[in-house]
Amino acid sequence: MGVDSTLVEALRRELGSDGVLDRRSQRVPYECDGLAFARQVPELVLLPRDTQQTAAAMRLLHEARVAIVPRGAGTGLSGGATPVEGGVTIGTGRMRSVLHIDALNRWARVQAGVVNADLGHACESHGLFYAPDPSSQKACTVGGNVGENSGGPHCFRYGNTSQHVLGLVIVTPQGEILDLSEPQVDPQGLDLVGLFTGSEGMLGIATEITVRLLPVPEVVETWVALFRSLDAACDATSDLIAARAEPSAIEILDKLTIEAVEQSVLRAGYPQDAEAVMLLELEGSEASVQANAAVIEPLLAVRGAFGLRRARASADRARLWAGRKGAYGAMGRIAPDLYVCDAVVPRRHLRALVRRTTEICSGKGLRIANVFHAGDGNLHPNISYDRRNPEELRRVLEAGDEMMRACIEAGGSLSGEHGIGLEKLSAMPWMFSSEDLAVMCRVREAWDPECRMNPGKLLPIRACMETRMRAPGAT
Amino acid sequence: MDNHSLVDYAKSLDCVHCGLCLNSCPTYRITGRESSSPRGRIHLMRSVAEGAIEPDDDFAEEMDFCLLCRNCESVCPSGVRYGAMMEHTRGALEERRQRPWTARLARSIGFGILRDRMALRVTARLARLAEGTGLARLVGAPALPRHAERVLLPTHMPAEGGELARVAMLEGCVMPELLGHVQRATAQVLQRAGCTVQISPMHVCCGSLHAHNGEVKAACELARATIEAYERLTDERGNPLPLIINSAGCGSHIKEFEHLFADDETMAVRARALSGRSFDLSQFLAREPFRSRLMQRLNPKASHQGPYAWDDPCHLCHGQGVRREPRELLQAAVGDGLVPLADPESCCGSAGIYSLLRPRDSQAVLQPRIEALRASGARTLVTSNPGCQMQWEAGIRTAQLDVSVSHLAEVLERASR
Repeated sequence: MGVDSTLVEALRRELGSDGVLDRRSQRVPYECDGLAFARQVPELVLLPRDTQQTAAAMRLLHEARVAIVPRGAGTGLSGGATPVEGGVTIGTGRMRSVLHIDALNRWARVQAGVVNADLGHACESHGLFYAPDPSSQKACTVGGNVGENSGGPHCFRYGNTSQHVLGLVIVTPQGEILDLSEPQVDPQGLDLVGLFTGSEGMLGIATEITVRLLPVPEVVETWVALFRSLDAACDATSDLIAARAEPSAIEILDKLTIEAVEQSVLRAGYPQDAEAVMLLELEGSEASVQANAAVIEPLLAVRGAFGLRRARASADRARLWAGRKGAYGAMGRIAPDLYVCDAVVPRRHLRALVRRTTEICSGKGLRIANVFHAGDGNLHPNISYDRRNPEELRRVLEAGDEMMRACIEAGGSLSGEHGIGLEKLSAMPWMFSSEDLAVMCRVREAWDPECRMNPGKLLPIRACMETRMRAPGAT
Repeated sequence: MDNHSLVDYAKSLDCVHCGLCLNSCPTYRITGRESSSPRGRIHLMRSVAEGAIEPDDDFAEEMDFCLLCRNCESVCPSGVRYGAMMEHTRGALEERRQRPWTARLARSIGFGILRDRMALRVTARLARLAEGTGLARLVGAPALPRHAERVLLPTHMPAEGGELARVAMLEGCVMPELLGHVQRATAQVLQRAGCTVQISPMHVCCGSLHAHNGEVKAACELARATIEAYERLTDERGNPLPLIINSAGCGSHIKEFEHLFADDETMAVRARALSGRSFDLSQFLAREPFRSRLMQRLNPKASHQGPYAWDDPCHLCHGQGVRREPRELLQAAVGDGLVPLADPESCCGSAGIYSLLRPRDSQAVLQPRIEALRASGARTLVTSNPGCQMQWEAGIRTAQLDVSVSHLAEVLERASR
């Protein structure tokens, strides 16, 4: 069993020749996602066009006992789409249709490969928007967002992807189609849609997604405030939250990030003499935005904010945001590779943990840039490195582990929005007991007893082996 | 030759693999394939340089499939110089490629004709004759205007209403044969904006098509000839004249001549000097005092048939970063008749000679643009690159839309009569 010419032929019959990539130069670019140091060339890449083709391919792979790794746009940062040895990658690159928009009832149904920003454009003319806005939204797919339960700046107010998924069409590891696409505000019976969202490709592949849309607020105002220290910006965030003067997004960029962004095509006009830039967004009715502004402005001033700019026109707002959204890529100007950590800390510890991450990295001789969703307490220490230097890569990974431990010790968690994937697999036992992990493994095995879906991610293998040993009738 | 030299490896390291380029790429959008995306192609280049894959036919095919529209550069936060990398790899691949003699002959004739005014004229005349026989349609050649349309511009055209400046204008290789009316309109608009226009009698082709298609040696020779030709067109004090270019592809290439002379500092300096005084027509006309002079003459009611839509040629918006100026001029020329076109910065599929080399792919890239044009309700599509102009015309004919295509210069000329 495994990938052989009979299987390839059978897959070609189902997907057409364009849907089955077996030439090496077509497979190599799929060897990694945004976590570029983890690589494995897949045996095959499949590009189905719809649910039926996905199901047909999954049935064949089930019969051949081949491992499957689902992939959206490959922009993930935790290695969720890193292929596995001997396995097949199923990409949603040809499933890009917005199937239906119900403007009155405020939902849309899309194919999994629809790009997050394209969904946004599609509902614009209805005066609606899709709230989760990962920084990679111009490229990442809604299907990938479901797999990773992605966030974004505005999730401070609106919640992560799971808050916005109303229904799914799922193809199970056995190739069966599970249609849960009717938009459900209060799911009947077990909430399978809720379970699936954020399952990192371990339970099956979502091929169609029904999402909640929200009305575009009357007024949206983006603020940029500058600070003389990163500490001051962190303190201002805590103050805003303590005062319940909550904007819809609170983002902080440090000096190194500002420099990289200002050199890039995404130049946002952030002044380079500031040690930290805070981006805020206020939205709602004219009166509520005014009232909120009256509360926020003095709170920022107390912490020494200066150079405050406010923008309402969408082009101006987009320019201010562009720098934030392209910050990751802009760091490519500093070194060939970038490792983006993703950890969450209680917001009262924001200042201390941001300092701690900087100390950890400078102690290892690494360059760190901080750009993060401050409102969520979601840190993104960005470490620049060169993957061709194995010694440096080792220090990067060590620093990542140390930062993660520090965050957990402070009462935080492993992932804000990037998922666990390969990257934080070994950190799972720091956060969860072996009983916790065993329960998760049993849920997974209820869907996929052979553990063929995205194996080696999210759940440490040992924990899974333990459950299997304990399961009745296990060999 | 080792495989490392196929790739501009240092530039490939600028890519951090973030993927923000994917959705901007026309070939990724039509195939959904990572290997046909900018990130995927850079990944392939890097893999070749690092010895992980062989530069086989599949690799070459992915490199050829790229339109070189450079939309990815406009969205890349890392500032990856994708266009330059692709030109490098295509050039190196071409050197070692074993083409059948027929293909080699066709290439050398095709790229050779572009360099020679007499050959261009003869070819145009032959092609015009062949049109009568229906042969040209059969091979998909563009329609040629009649002989009277194909006269070359005079070398000296005086400013109207008092000279504000003297400028050189790029006449180009295929433009006089295929789009003579655009050349005349360009010169007239410049004259009305107060410029005395000079044409270099010795210059033919800037070599942009050669550079984009792996003919590096010819591209270097043509760049050198271009630099020399326009150094000779000077004002009374001996300073070289600004060079006005109405073809986005040529403009983008001329502004980047410097890359061709990485090993020749003297030529690189001269290339930089020419880049510094080269302007897209819209860029130049948006500057004072020419802008005011032209604005006085514009009468929005006098122009073609509205509503109008503006299509950004890739090598204008992505290659030269020029976006605002043509819109402002067009707005001034047609008043409120300008309607938005969806995705105006994405490629129409012309891409130099891509539409001739890969007609099917070119059509697939054009298709969504034709739908966007249909949805816009425009009756006149305005652009400023000869390839785009002809590509749109052919696509509009096939789709049976009632839309005409104009160069920005033509709209400005009509509105300033």
